[in-house]
Amino acid sequence: LSGRLDRRLEALARAVELADGRLDGDHVAAARRVVERAGQRLGLGLEATVVALAGPTGAGKSSLFNAMAGERIAAVGRRRPTTSTAAAAVWGDASPALLDWLGVPRRHPAADAALDGLVLVDLPDLDSVERSHRAEADRVIELVDLLVWVVDPQKYADASLHEDYLRPLTRHAEAMVVVLNQADVVDPAAARRIRDDLKRLLRGEGLDGVGVVATSAATGEGLDELRARLAEAVRRRAAAVARLGADVGQAAEALVAECTPRARAGIRKEDRERLRGALAGAAGVPTVVRAVEQAHRRRGALAVGWPFVRWVCRFRPDPLRRLRLPERPAPEVRTSLPAVSQVQREQVAAATRALASGAAGELPPPWPGLLRTAAVRREDEVTDRLDRAVAGANLHVTRPGWWSFAGLLQKVLALATLAGLVWLLALGLLSWLRLNDVLPVPEMYDVPAPTLMLVGGAAAGIVLAFLFRLANGVSGARRARSAGRSLRDRVDVVAAEYVLGPVEQELDAHRQLCDHLGRAAE
Amino acid sequence: MDARIAALASLRDELRSVELGLALPSAERAARVRDELTAQVDDYLLPRLRQMDAPLLMVVGGSTGAGKSTLVNSLVGAELSPAGVLRPTTRGPVLACNPDDVRWFVDERVLPALARTTGGKESPNELRIAPTPQLPPGLALLDAPDIDSVVAENRALGAQLLAAADAWLFVTTAARYADAVPWELLGGARDRGTALALVLNRVPPDALAEVSSHLRDMLRQRGLDDAELLVVREAALDDGLIPPAEFAPVRGWLDVLTADAGRRHALVRRTLTGALDTVPARVGVVESALAEQRAAAEELRADVRRAYRRALEEVDDAVRSGSLLRGEVLARWHELIGTGDVMRALETRIGWLRDRLRALVTGKPAAERELEEAVESSVDAVVVAAADRAAERAGRSWREHPAGRALLRPQLDAASPELNDRTRDAVRAWQGFVFQLVQEEGMSKRTAARFASLGVNGAGLAVMIAVFAHTGGLTGTEVVVAGGTSAVGHKVLEAIFGDQAVRTLAARARDDLLERVERLLALEEQRFAAAVEAAAPLDDAPERIRAAVRALQSAR
Repeated sequence: LSGRLDRRLEALARAVELADGRLDGDHVAAARRVVERAGQRLGLGLEATVVALAGPTGAGKSSLFNAMAGERIAAVGRRRPTTSTAAAAVWGDASPALLDWLGVPRRHPAADAALDGLVLVDLPDLDSVERSHRAEADRVIELVDLLVWVVDPQKYADASLHEDYLRPLTRHAEAMVVVLNQADVVDPAAARRIRDDLKRLLRGEGLDGVGVVATSAATGEGLDELRARLAEAVRRRAAAVARLGADVGQAAEALVAECTPRARAGIRKEDRERLRGALAGAAGVPTVVRAVEQAHRRRGALAVGWPFVRWVCRFRPDPLRRLRLPERPAPEVRTSLPAVSQVQREQVAAATRALASGAAGELPPPWPGLLRTAAVRREDEVTDRLDRAVAGANLHVTRPGWWSFAGLLQKVLALATLAGLVWLLALGLLSWLRLNDVLPVPEMYDVPAPTLMLVGGAAAGIVLAFLFRLANGVSGARRARSAGRSLRDRVDVVAAEYVLGPVEQELDAHRQLCDHLGRAAE
Repeated sequence: MDARIAALASLRDELRSVELGLALPSAERAARVRDELTAQVDDYLLPRLRQMDAPLLMVVGGSTGAGKSTLVNSLVGAELSPAGVLRPTTRGPVLACNPDDVRWFVDERVLPALARTTGGKESPNELRIAPTPQLPPGLALLDAPDIDSVVAENRALGAQLLAAADAWLFVTTAARYADAVPWELLGGARDRGTALALVLNRVPPDALAEVSSHLRDMLRQRGLDDAELLVVREAALDDGLIPPAEFAPVRGWLDVLTADAGRRHALVRRTLTGALDTVPARVGVVESALAEQRAAAEELRADVRRAYRRALEEVDDAVRSGSLLRGEVLARWHELIGTGDVMRALETRIGWLRDRLRALVTGKPAAERELEEAVESSVDAVVVAAADRAAERAGRSWREHPAGRALLRPQLDAASPELNDRTRDAVRAWQGFVFQLVQEEGMSKRTAARFASLGVNGAGLAVMIAVFAHTGGLTGTEVVVAGGTSAVGHKVLEAIFGDQAVRTLAARARDDLLERVERLLALEEQRFAAAVEAAAPLDDAPERIRAAVRALQSAR
């Protein structure tokens, strides 16, 4: 019977958890009270049905109460207001715990098999000069399963009843009955007209389905109908569920105003790109990428450049070492990258805020503010984290395999060049000493071998060095690109952890909240 | 007499122009008091002061279903206002008076907001005048709508009519006499000293003693001892009218009044004096609400001022601390020096001529443009972020203030979307100003030849760099930084930035930049200020109201 209510309550409880600290505190507190109250009421069992007689002073609540109970329990009087504390009449054996929970100390047993399980509560008035009466009535009205509003021909259109009680309870039509008491003081035709007028007023308040019973505690008119309605409610044992369901719906409705499930919201692509760019700039990604390319070129020149000149490169420092960037990922190392400048920090701040307000899209307040708070909450930690992200990136600064072969080739060529030079010098020395033809001078392709070795070796070395340089330029650019990718991936992780994640989390909270509220309100 | 009328009229005008737009707890009540008071001045005080000898207007008011119409009908012996079982019955007010007195009411002397009609159907915005010989001259009965039914217009009109009465005939019943709403009104009547008679209608004969004694107790407890209590017993209606025997107490009380003109006048004077006596206190409610409004407005303005003053300080710090110099700006400066544009200009010393030529042919060289753009985007980033934070701070403090919370609009607590463009425009304008400054003053003989030799563009950029460095000129280490890797540049730059004239130029350029930023931030601040201005009362409003009350009191 209450399975559906349980699901709705569960949804509302989750919505309350999500809404706590995010949405209007009063609405959240009201919803939390509904969840608590519903849990308490369901825990006390649905065997008993609690019905309260509520209404303005002088409408005849106590007379009606006595008439239903069949004895004079509540004091009836001319003096207004008459009843100052609630009293209960109990049919059958309702658990004392339930009555304790209702906080009604005055209890009287009543007997009628048809009404077995009914707890009827006579409430103090709602509209007299005694404010304490109203407070007591308000307290019990929140707890009961079925509300019987008692009015009379004089007071059925009072603003205090309609505006303060009936209009806010639009969803509770199933959980209430309106009784037009003292119907005997006007003639039957007038009573009918008043009843129709009362129905019209209720319709205007969205309470179409509410049953209206004309009674007279004095003549007994209409009491059977009222008793039959109450007996029906007691028999079906559904009043509590209906009441709590209406409460859940009302609480969900109050919260759902701050939730627009179909609103366009979400992190925009261009905002995400802007943030990535700003973070990459703050992380010094362009600097590192440049350093990777230059380092590769420098190392390449040292490894495969023309051996006779490549030592010059040693005079320039290695750009990666200068930035103290580790070649293997080592997040614990602090780099010597230039500190994040204020301008870069501000660009990150502006991008973060733009991202948050873009992500808010069409969401109503307070969501834009919540998103921004989530986005900037860890603003101060970001720059420190960026440095570690860079230090932990794989910069792809490995030596290409062909360098050793090419280096060997350059060495061989250099040796050949040197050998040719030595040979030629030896020949020159011998020729100076007029010792021609002591050394044989083999010829290759009609060129003397030492000359070929010197010129050919040098030329080949230089040409190769040039080609290697080109190749290193290309592979350096490629390495720079992949280092950049790897760095940006690392930066993206930071962005996701510090900005995008929290924003997504809020957006997710909004979606889930709407979802839960939707299920709670159905 | 005239002085009082003029003073009241001017007080009314002052009150009407009072704005209570800030959502403070006191505002709602003060607005109600203000509206009630201005309505009462128009409906009652002014007409009564102008014509003291007009008939006594007795308003029959009370709860819905208390039998007001039935009582009036019975008193005049005819169905003037239809009585019925449906609530609320009376929608439009009906005024019954002797045919001779009609002239007092047909013009719009009393209740000027209500149109007059003399028959047909009643409507809420019309005052139906029903002449009847049953009422003697000098007394008019006004059947007012209820004060507590679901129809809100009825409640408002009922209260308004009671405020316009010379005396109240307040009707309640045995079932209603302890209702809270009527007692609030009766409390108001007591405070104002309104002449009042209470009709306890529809009393079942067996409850008469108990109820009427309880009601008398309640009246005594609430300080209404001198109110006349007239009890009408419940009886079968005779053709819609109460049998004369039952309403005799009311009739008798009215007869005494009609017979005794002196007593009537005393009643009129008593209510009038009472109403006039309450004016200063009621104005006081409005006045203290006004004072609260002004204090709140000042608080909100101060919050905003604080937030934006800090933003200006942040930008100022960023400019002075040299942090703008690092990063992009410095990189572009190095590139500019590295390309040798500046250095070549230094060496050739005909930079200005080349500048002119090149500017004529190709516009500015790429490196210079890039440096300008770097300066632009750096300043932009700092200003926008500072404005964003200021808006956030202001928004946060407003959110903690009830009136501020109501004024916050979406997007107000972030920098305005136009700020980016405005800042870039401002920085560009500033750069133009620097070039002009350099052109006008920097190229004179007072500056070092080296500086002059940079040409206008080079010199302008050098001044911008100097602006972003510490204390107007570059310190030794900063010169090294600014000089980048170019060893040649160091000495030259030291010579340039060390120059007193350059320092002066840089200081002026920085002041100008900060002034521009201040204007930008002032525009941002203005969004908040405008929100306050729209809702806050005028500064002289309390003073003017006090003056009007003083005038009224001295006129009495």
